[in-house]
Amino acid sequence: MTGRYPTAASSYAGDIDGLILFIAALVFFWGILVEVVFFGFIFKFREKKGRKAEYVTGEEKRQKRWITIPHALVFVCDILIIVAAVRVWVDVKQTLPTPDATVRVISQQWAWTFVHPGPDGALDTADDITTVDELHLEVGKTYHYELESKDVVHSLSIPAFRLKQDAVPGRTIRGWFRPIREGTYDLQCAEICGIGHGLMPAIVKVESAAQHARWMDEAGRSALAAAPRPRAR
Amino acid sequence: MARGEELYRLCSQCHGATGEGNEALQAPAIAGQHAWYVAAQLRKFKDGVRGKHPDDAAGLRMRPMALSLKDDADIAAVAEYVASLPAQAPSRTLPSGNAENGKTLYTACATCHGPDGAGNAEMKAPALVRTNDWYLLSQLQKFKARVRGASPDDAEAALMLPWALSLADEQAMKDVLAYVQTLR
Repeated sequence: MTGRYPTAASSYAGDIDGLILFIAALVFFWGILVEVVFFGFIFKFREKKGRKAEYVTGEEKRQKRWITIPHALVFVCDILIIVAAVRVWVDVKQTLPTPDATVRVISQQWAWTFVHPGPDGALDTADDITTVDELHLEVGKTYHYELESKDVVHSLSIPAFRLKQDAVPGRTIRGWFRPIREGTYDLQCAEICGIGHGLMPAIVKVESAAQHARWMDEAGRSALAAAPRPRAR
Repeated sequence: MARGEELYRLCSQCHGATGEGNEALQAPAIAGQHAWYVAAQLRKFKDGVRGKHPDDAAGLRMRPMALSLKDDADIAAVAEYVASLPAQAPSRTLPSGNAENGKTLYTACATCHGPDGAGNAEMKAPALVRTNDWYLLSQLQKFKARVRGASPDDAEAALMLPWALSLADEQAMKDVLAYVQTLR
């Protein structure tokens, strides 16, 4: 926790924070510079005895340079932002690194269901572990997620991962994350989805390998003790 | 009652202003249901004892609503208000049920729910005649599949399991619910 941002708990959270800081720094620089110049002109051309007001058309080169030079520099900044943003976007949204495991995330009004692979590491097998409102992950592992919605549009939001992805009924949306910090983090819906939208929080538990294995063992035993449950789709 | 009425505004979004229910939202009629039963179910939803099975879509929708009730006083207030609403006689939606066959099957249900289907506080069995047949069918199916009653803390649901299992198939369920309709 830096104090400025929520905990950065995924491998790409730092890249996204860096990008936002970069944009904020550029905007701050230009914002301050514009205000300084603006107030400088106000001061320089303030009312003085003997000076007559004049209408400036802005057609002379020496006047236009106050627009053209910053314009060109802002354009360069825009290019820098686009390059930086595309690099992060491609990494986060366009690339699917080879996964260690895949979890299925099913949204509905107003709950989250998570299907975790069991000890065999594969989904849609007998040892799958299904939970409601609680996602269990192992730190340092790369996960693919398969995001689905049973009813309306929802949005999977895990602020600590800097992840937000819409869930669209009828589609399975794939993405990835790699949790890098153990802890318990909030998961929420970021798309108004009905009267219970504000009442569907869930948690993400990022555990050490030993903790995760212990959870898997306990959850697997409870699943065996319970009745056979159909696949949660 | 004023507090209960105020809290009920949220419930009315699905269950209707008069507690008449809405099949499209899988929200049953609850008007006139016993307050002790409504309160017990709200507590179960709130505690994750009911409505936390991944295959219970309607229960998962209900759970956050119960979570919005801050304490037992709120639960009691809204339950009293629901009980005070004039009981409904929801229309039949399962035409293929055979009430004659259902009458025999219902003898087992009558042990707890009463011969008139009005419920029994001692047995913690709700009134069956004040809610919809489609809802009762869905609950029987959930009991049978252990989607409702999955939690070891839901003692009443555990009691329902053998009775749900005793109904051989969906037709038997529809038959018994057709008989329940005749009790209204």
